[in-house]
Amino acid sequence: MADPMIRVENLVKQFHVKAGPFGKKGVVHAVNGVTLTIWRGETVGLVGESGCGKSTLGRTILKVYEPDSGRIFCGGAEITNLDHKQMQPYRQRMQMIFQDPYASLNPRFTVGELIAEPMKIYRLCDAKERAERVQQLLETVGLKPDHIRRYPHEFSGGQRQRIGIARALALNPEFIVCDEPISALDVSIQAQIVNLLERIQAERGISYLFIAHDLTMVRHISRRIGVMYMGALVEVGDADEVCDHPLHPYTQVLMSAVPQPDPVAARRQKLILPEGEVPSPIDLPPGCPFSPRCLYATWQCRNEKPPLKDVGGRQVACHHAE
Amino acid sequence: MLRPEEYFDPLPQEDRDAQFIAIQSKSFARNVWESFSRNRLALVGLILLALLVCAAIFGPMLSPYPYDGMDAMSRNQSSSAAHWFGTDQMGRDVFTRVLYGARVSLLVGFASTALNLVIGVLYGSIAGYVGGRVDMVMMRIVDVIYAVPAMIYMILLMLIFGSNIYSVMLGICVNGWINMARIVRGQVMSLKEQEFSVAAFVIGASRKRILFRHLLLNSLGPIIVTVTLMIPQAIFTEAFLSFIGIGISAPMASLGTLAQDAKMLMNVYPMQMVWPVLVICIVIFSLNFIGEGLETALNPRGKR
Repeated sequence: MADPMIRVENLVKQFHVKAGPFGKKGVVHAVNGVTLTIWRGETVGLVGESGCGKSTLGRTILKVYEPDSGRIFCGGAEITNLDHKQMQPYRQRMQMIFQDPYASLNPRFTVGELIAEPMKIYRLCDAKERAERVQQLLETVGLKPDHIRRYPHEFSGGQRQRIGIARALALNPEFIVCDEPISALDVSIQAQIVNLLERIQAERGISYLFIAHDLTMVRHISRRIGVMYMGALVEVGDADEVCDHPLHPYTQVLMSAVPQPDPVAARRQKLILPEGEVPSPIDLPPGCPFSPRCLYATWQCRNEKPPLKDVGGRQVACHHAE
Repeated sequence: MLRPEEYFDPLPQEDRDAQFIAIQSKSFARNVWESFSRNRLALVGLILLALLVCAAIFGPMLSPYPYDGMDAMSRNQSSSAAHWFGTDQMGRDVFTRVLYGARVSLLVGFASTALNLVIGVLYGSIAGYVGGRVDMVMMRIVDVIYAVPAMIYMILLMLIFGSNIYSVMLGICVNGWINMARIVRGQVMSLKEQEFSVAAFVIGASRKRILFRHLLLNSLGPIIVTVTLMIPQAIFTEAFLSFIGIGISAPMASLGTLAQDAKMLMNVYPMQMVWPVLVICIVIFSLNFIGEGLETALNPRGKR
C-alpha cells in the first residue's frame, strides 16, 4: 500500500475565456492547486458540485488538458511535461471511463473495432490474438460474444458503458479515471456497473479515481474521498469518516443534503444551507473559496487561504478545523 | 395480499432468451443503401446517371461516325435512322457529338470534383482540427480567395494556359474547394469536442489517426452530399464557359460547346440545340436527386 500509483502536486489548470471579440479577458481557475496521492489498488472518490473542477482534474491527470503548473507523477515517474508521443507508454497504464456512454463511443465503429483499437495502436498482439482478447474482454464486462459486430447505437446505456469499460481494460491499465461513469444511467444499472468496477478492481488490482455526484455511491465504492470546491480540495480522508463526521463546513453542507432512505431519520435530518451564490470561478475570493457562503467564516477566512492540513488522520483546508 | 410468485409464473428456459432477439445488425453502408433506395427520385437519378456514364464511355466507340467527321452532303439533317439526332451545319452526327460532349462534360465534372474533394477535405480538416490562430489565418485566406469572382480566375487561366479542358478544370478548382473546406471544418470542429475523440486521445491514438479514423469518418455524410452537389455545379460551369466561348475549343466538344454551335441556327434547326441541353438537364437533375437522396439517407435523424 505504500506504493503511490498517481501523485499530483499543486496542480493548476486554467482556461482562458473572453466575452465577445472586445470583451474582458478572464481566467477560469478550473483546478487550483490540488495535491493528491492515489495508492495502488485503492479507489479515491471525488465529489463536489457541478463545475467545481472534478472532471478537469481527472482529465488533467491523464494529460488530456496540459497542466498550467504543478507536477504529475505516474508510478514514480514524472509525466508533467511529456508530449503526446512520449506519453504513449504511460497511457497504456492510465485509462479513462467516460460519463456519457452515448458520446464516448465512435458511432461508426463496431464493438469489436472499438475494443480492439487501443491494442492496434500499441501493436500489442496479432489479429488473431486480438480477436481472442476482445472476446475475453466482452466476457469480463458481461457482454455476449456475438455483440462484437454490432454498432454502439444498438445497445442500451448500461451496455454501452460496459463497452467503454472493456475498451479501457484492453490495455491492462493500472489506473482508471472514472469520470462520472454512472451519472447517465438509471439506478439499477448504476449498481451493476459499480459492482462490475469493483469486481474488476478485485481481480486486477486497479486504482480508480471515481468522480461522481452521488455521495452514497461514492462512499460505497471508495476507500478515501476527496471533496472539491472551486477547483481545490477542501477535505480528503477515509470515506466513512468524511461522510459521518465531516470537518470542513462545505463537506457538512454536502453531507446534510444526502437523502435519507429512512423517513424517521429524514425528519430528524437538519439541512444545512449555505448562504448566497456560488462564486464565479473567474473571480475567486482572496481567502478560503468557501468563505462567502460559509456560516462560520471569520475575517481570517475571507483574507487568508487555508492550506490543506492534517487533522486527525485526514486533510482539511479550513482555519477552524481541529 | 398476493405475493408476486403467486400471480406470476416463471418463464420456461427456452423463452427467456426471447428478449435477446434484436433487429438484425446492419452495416453503415447497408443502412444508407436501404434508405436511399426507398427514395424513388434518387433511384431514378442513379439509374439515369449510370446509363449516361456508360453511353458516354462506350457510345463514341460503337458509333459509326467519328465525332469530328464532317460530311458536306448531309448537313443540318433532322433525325433519321442513319443519324438518330440528325446532323449539324457541318454534317457531323449530332448523336455521336452529344455522347462525346457528355464524356468531356462528365470528365470535367468528376475530375474537378475529385480535386476539390482532396484539397477541401485536407484544408478544412486541418483548419478545424488545429483550430485557434492557424484556423483563423487559414479561413481568412479562404475568404480572400472567395471574395474574388470565380469568372475572373477562369478568364485569367484561359489567357495563360489556353482554352482547353485542363484550364477549365483548374478554373473550377480555384475556388470550388472552398465550400468543401468550410463544411469539413465545421464538422471537424464540432466532432473534436465530442467525448469519443477525447477517448481516442486517451487510448493514445496519434493526431492523424484521430483526424482520419474518428473525425473524418464521422463527417462522411456531409462530405458525400457536398460531392454529389459539386459535380453538377462543375458540369454547369464548364457548359457555361464553353457556351460563352472561353471553355473547350473545337473540334473537341462538350455539351456547352454543342449548345453554343447550335445557337446560330437556333431559329431554323432548334433540335440541334435541344439534344445537348437535354443531356445537361438529365445529368444535373439526376445528380441533384442523388445528392438529395443521400442527404436524407446519411442523416442519422432521418432513420425510421
